[in-house]
Amino acid sequence: MENQQTTKSELLKFVPSPSRPPVTITYGPIGWLKKNLFGNIWNTLLTIAVFTLLFLLLKPFLEWTVLKAVWTASTRRECIDISPDGACWAGIFPWVNNLIYGLYPDTLQWRINLGIGIGILWFIPLALKKAQQKMIFSLMGVLLYPFLANYLFLGGDRSNFHYIMACAGLAYLLILYVNIILTYLNRKRVEEYLEPFLERFCRKNATRWAYLTIWMFITVIIAFILRNQTLEHVSVDAWGGLFLTLIISGVSIAMALPIGIILALGRRSEMPIIKWFSLCTIELVRSVPMITVLFMSVTMLPLFFPNTMELNKLVQVLVAVCLFAGAYMAETVRGGLQAIPRGQYDAAKSVGLGYWHTMIFIILPQALRAMIPNIVTSFISLFKDTTLVSIIGLFDIMLMARNISIDKNWLGLHSEPLVAISVLFFVFCYTMSQYSQRLEKKLNTNR
Amino acid sequence: MRLGYEVFSKSIIIAHSKWLRSCKIITLKKLLYDSSYRSKLIQGLTLLLVCGIGYYFYSNVVENLHRMELPFGFDFISSTAGFDIGWSIIPYDPTMSYAWVYLVGICNTLILSALIIFFATALGFVVGIIRLSRNFLLSQCARWYVEFIRNVPLLIQIIFWFIVVFSTLPAPRGSYHLLDTFFLNNRGFYFPAPVFETNSSWTVIAALLACICSYILLKKSQIFRKRNGKRLPILYPSLIALLGFVAIIFMVTGSPLHWAVPSLQGFNFHDGFFFPTAFMAAFVAMTTYRSATIGEMVRAGIQSIDPGQLEAASAIGFSRFKTLRLIIVPQAARAILPPLINIWLTIVKESSLAVAIGFPELVSVFIQTSLNQTGRAIEIVLMVMGFYMCTSLSISYIMNRYNKRIQLQEG
Amino acid sequence: MDIKSNTIPHEDDTSGRTAIAVKGLNKWYDEFHVLKDVSLSVQEKEIIVICGPSGSGKSTLIRCINHLEEHQEGSITIFGERLEKNKKSATIIRDKVGMLFQSFNLFPHLTLLENCTLGPIWLRNIPEYQAIEQSTALLERVGIANLAQKYPGQISGGQQQRVAIARSLAMEPKIMLFDEPTSALDPEMIKEVLDVMIDLAHSGMTMICVTHEMQFAQQVADRVVFMAEGEIVETGPPEQVLGNPKWDRTSLFLEHILSH
Repeated sequence: MENQQTTKSELLKFVPSPSRPPVTITYGPIGWLKKNLFGNIWNTLLTIAVFTLLFLLLKPFLEWTVLKAVWTASTRRECIDISPDGACWAGIFPWVNNLIYGLYPDTLQWRINLGIGIGILWFIPLALKKAQQKMIFSLMGVLLYPFLANYLFLGGDRSNFHYIMACAGLAYLLILYVNIILTYLNRKRVEEYLEPFLERFCRKNATRWAYLTIWMFITVIIAFILRNQTLEHVSVDAWGGLFLTLIISGVSIAMALPIGIILALGRRSEMPIIKWFSLCTIELVRSVPMITVLFMSVTMLPLFFPNTMELNKLVQVLVAVCLFAGAYMAETVRGGLQAIPRGQYDAAKSVGLGYWHTMIFIILPQALRAMIPNIVTSFISLFKDTTLVSIIGLFDIMLMARNISIDKNWLGLHSEPLVAISVLFFVFCYTMSQYSQRLEKKLNTNR
Repeated sequence: MRLGYEVFSKSIIIAHSKWLRSCKIITLKKLLYDSSYRSKLIQGLTLLLVCGIGYYFYSNVVENLHRMELPFGFDFISSTAGFDIGWSIIPYDPTMSYAWVYLVGICNTLILSALIIFFATALGFVVGIIRLSRNFLLSQCARWYVEFIRNVPLLIQIIFWFIVVFSTLPAPRGSYHLLDTFFLNNRGFYFPAPVFETNSSWTVIAALLACICSYILLKKSQIFRKRNGKRLPILYPSLIALLGFVAIIFMVTGSPLHWAVPSLQGFNFHDGFFFPTAFMAAFVAMTTYRSATIGEMVRAGIQSIDPGQLEAASAIGFSRFKTLRLIIVPQAARAILPPLINIWLTIVKESSLAVAIGFPELVSVFIQTSLNQTGRAIEIVLMVMGFYMCTSLSISYIMNRYNKRIQLQEG
Repeated sequence: MDIKSNTIPHEDDTSGRTAIAVKGLNKWYDEFHVLKDVSLSVQEKEIIVICGPSGSGKSTLIRCINHLEEHQEGSITIFGERLEKNKKSATIIRDKVGMLFQSFNLFPHLTLLENCTLGPIWLRNIPEYQAIEQSTALLERVGIANLAQKYPGQISGGQQQRVAIARSLAMEPKIMLFDEPTSALDPEMIKEVLDVMIDLAHSGMTMICVTHEMQFAQQVADRVVFMAEGEIVETGPPEQVLGNPKWDRTSLFLEHILSH
């Protein structure tokens, strides 16, 4: 020890040498250019070649799309006279209404806007951090929103049950938002005000009973206020355009997850009959193209039901698409279930949870969270696949766009509508896929 | 007497209770809470439900068919079709039966799918490798190619290619042509068809012999290499000699192959072979669409290889090319192959979208036309779905076997 | 305390050929000066251990010697042949230099025997039966002969690193570089790998090891080099550098590492 102490005082102090900048620049914008584009002679030649190629390809495209395009005209002939090499966007503008709403009467389109607006409102809180119990209000959305939407979009005479459920839906939405606002203001939620009164009657679950009471109360109020309002009936045949595309994708996405979960659980079940039934359904539906399933539902489904039951084409298509989407989602969910380690099942059993409790509270939340990027990708594919319904004659946005070319004013206008809806789909799908990639990164870092 | 009666009744009561206890009484409580009984109950109920629904559908179908006076059965297959099909790869005329129509549909589907699979895979590999290029401009080109194609629905792309590109080509009189042998116009793509004369069997035999010989030669050179470490020196000259042998036989028997070149007679082309516009549009649209998916898969497969292995390979002294061949390709192939086969299956199923532009593949020829003619919805739909099911299930089965074998090896 | 500007320790040629001569090596990652005027000379059959805190550039130095990283200034000469900045010279030099990695980097799709025979068969054009003989002998030497048909995924980390050593030896290198070979191993497996390395050292291989295993250094190293902040601080026999360091930075590092 003493030896070390004396040698310590003789230690030389180490001073690091100064850093100096590199002689050849490898960083910054110039460095980046050198590395990625002009690194060596081959790279430089390649960059120049690709650049020229891009220029030659994009220049006529840009001219057609923007520079020489015609934005106002009243017929196609006029467009061609003004600028023969440019796109005739003027043909799209008079049709925008039809492209979005289909053949829905103009004066009643506020109902569609209201319905879609309520739908968006319902699912906005999923993105808010302070909103609680996201699972419950999503579930409630899937259960109650269809009644509300049906009431608004279809109109006409609806049964009392329908009416009450629609009012209940509105009431639920109202309470949801009031609660969210109160939570953000750090006040008590609505039912917590009522709780003290009910505690005398039911000690536990007082919150739930309070909530139910308020909900029923507001439902009755809304039902009373709107009892004389009737909405005009709009036949399903008039539904079309982007509205119809959203309905088909929305319903199939909403049904895909429950059907997929049930089929996936059935496939992993230990009961042979249920396992084989699920397996057969999944494999058979996945092994045929979607168009055949659509054709099947349009040609065969009417035969399966008595003649007196009338199924309109939309319902047939929805059945087919939901079945198809559910089978594909079942595979995604099964992948997620397989990723859950056996230890989770063992732990749940040792706590004493039964099959359904384990699934609902332990396994499924983990599996679904792991599979969210894949699920979002499936949704994007489903949204793109809804264009197939145009083949069997449903007037979704694709068939509407193709119809522009047979309008007498715009005869032969083929490319512009197609390009317009391509841009629409691209913007939507690209945004969703970027969102899913960000989600995936966020979920990976959370682990 | 009274005592006898008491003893008798008591013994009956005792016997009865013993019998009760010895029975396994299935109470309601047991059904719900005992798991083995419960699973049997649930399965029984499910079976009952499925059978019930099945019976309900069945009775409705029978009633509806009876009401519409449509028989059920596959006998219509042998009756004459009586309609024309726009284009068929196998010979067809309207006097043939529906069975032949079914075959025509299947062959058209298969030829379209086969061509798409081949070109989409090749293009996909190119796209994937470009995507990994170090030149920023090039990799971004590949990236945006993939993004644009994947985010626009396939149907829109098919219709776009059909209406905007292929239908606006010039009429046959003003076709684009290459060397006066390949012609592209608004009716389709015309190319020369080979015509084999009778003497050609000699050439075919010679070619087969050459193939067998070269296979034996390659195997021998592998063994030689293992034993001696270098390549068999006469390998390449022998292969060239075999090729020359086939060529000599071909010429000696009078060159029994000539090409029927499409020639313009009047308003249309005769001779040669052609693919109609619908085929070309569907082919181009689906090839580009799937090349984007395959490109992304190839990129992911190659990037999944641990870069440490590339360092180890270069530390041992392998050149980039050898690393590619010995380290990257075997591992990337294992990662890429299963999803690639899935994509091929998807291509076969997606070829049915060509029905939208009128190409006579199976769905168009059978579900649209034949169903309209015969009204036999159930039989026809079953036959079409049966074809796709057989193809998908058999190929997935083979894939699963292959996957299991590979996994066992890697331990 | 005597504050002196650092003079770069200068190596002078002693017995045998100079295996590796590094002169004035400078490397930058973008703007960051990661190796500052490093000079090192290694004789044949010499065993050098390089140690230092993380970020000191020791791994970078080793990787530059093997041309896994490119240097911007300075020269590296191996057995008289200068390492140019292009890739062609790298392949000539890699014939003589073998490298071991922290993460073993075995090829997962080949058996252990195939991992070892791949190089000789494809690069040295040795017939297969001969390559198998040689590789089996090497696997025996590192103690894994009975596992030759297994795949890397089926064996432990220590066994993998030993196979990696056999794989490098199959190419008959004159110099072996070790980049923290035992850092990813459990303590029980470190010993089996160090035993193989010590055996290799005794057989006369020129070795440069970047490692934290100081017992290994004391047992077999001819010289220990201490690096910090991208330059060599101190170099000398292990008794001197590890027992009686001259610079305070060395002493600080040794306190931390020897107290674990």
